[in-house]
Amino acid sequence: MNEPADIGPGDEIPTWTMPFVDPARMRTMAAILRDPYPVHWDRDGNAALGLPGRVINQGPLNLGYIVNMLLAWAGPSCVRRLTVSFGRPVLDGDHVTAGGRVTSIADIDGERRATCDVWLDRDGEHVVTGTAVVALGAR
Amino acid sequence: MGDVIGLSEAQLHALVGHRFSGGRYRIEHWENWLLTDCTGREPLPDRLVHPIVLFHVPILGVGTSITELFALGGVAGAGSVGLEGYDWEYFGPLVEDVEYRMEGGIVAANRVTDETGRVVDKMAFEITLFDETDRMAARITNRWVLRR
Repeated sequence: MNEPADIGPGDEIPTWTMPFVDPARMRTMAAILRDPYPVHWDRDGNAALGLPGRVINQGPLNLGYIVNMLLAWAGPSCVRRLTVSFGRPVLDGDHVTAGGRVTSIADIDGERRATCDVWLDRDGEHVVTGTAVVALGAR
Repeated sequence: MGDVIGLSEAQLHALVGHRFSGGRYRIEHWENWLLTDCTGREPLPDRLVHPIVLFHVPILGVGTSITELFALGGVAGAGSVGLEGYDWEYFGPLVEDVEYRMEGGIVAANRVTDETGRVVDKMAFEITLFDETDRMAARITNRWVLRR
């Protein structure tokens, strides 16, 4: 990454791509979360939702792709705040890409922080949007 | 407009102020490893936990569960719950093998008509995590949409 002093409003965050949303990972995730909601593993049940034969990725995993982009850009302990809204569901087999852009820089609590617009795209459409506050130089 | 069943509007509003029992949770290495792997990246260094741990750890640590939250909202079944949004704040690094204390409750519940004309309920809960020195480590506010 650039040095923190070199980062400013308008800078793009290098994208992070999940080329194939894996249904096996959804099943593992459901177990970790103790999440009984069948939309993540019951393909037949999702026919009633207009998604026959498909399963829906967990929201935290969709956010996780955005977080992975931030961690790769600014270091493993950089995240200070995530504020996100979820749009359309991400499904098994989808190819999604996380992106972001710095909107402002401020010195807070002794560290330089970037506020960034962030998003997750599928086929050019935002499926998650939000704001992240990231500490620069927090490796 | 769809029928709204399960909770009256008064019952829905009465959820605000509901407090979870509170409790503690220790994030173990295996759990963090699997969670991080599910996101498609390598484990983080120095026992750091992946930031998306702030979905399930507060829910379980505060003494509730996804199942109980669904029941509180009076919903069940495929398509009955949607994620509206999260607001997660990190006041310090979250790491494995530390016992975090948690407290929280339901902070908003209201009935609205969405852009399609369907009546839906919205519920938000807030949970705060404290580290072993009782300093705030993180705070989450999750907003769910409940469809009847």
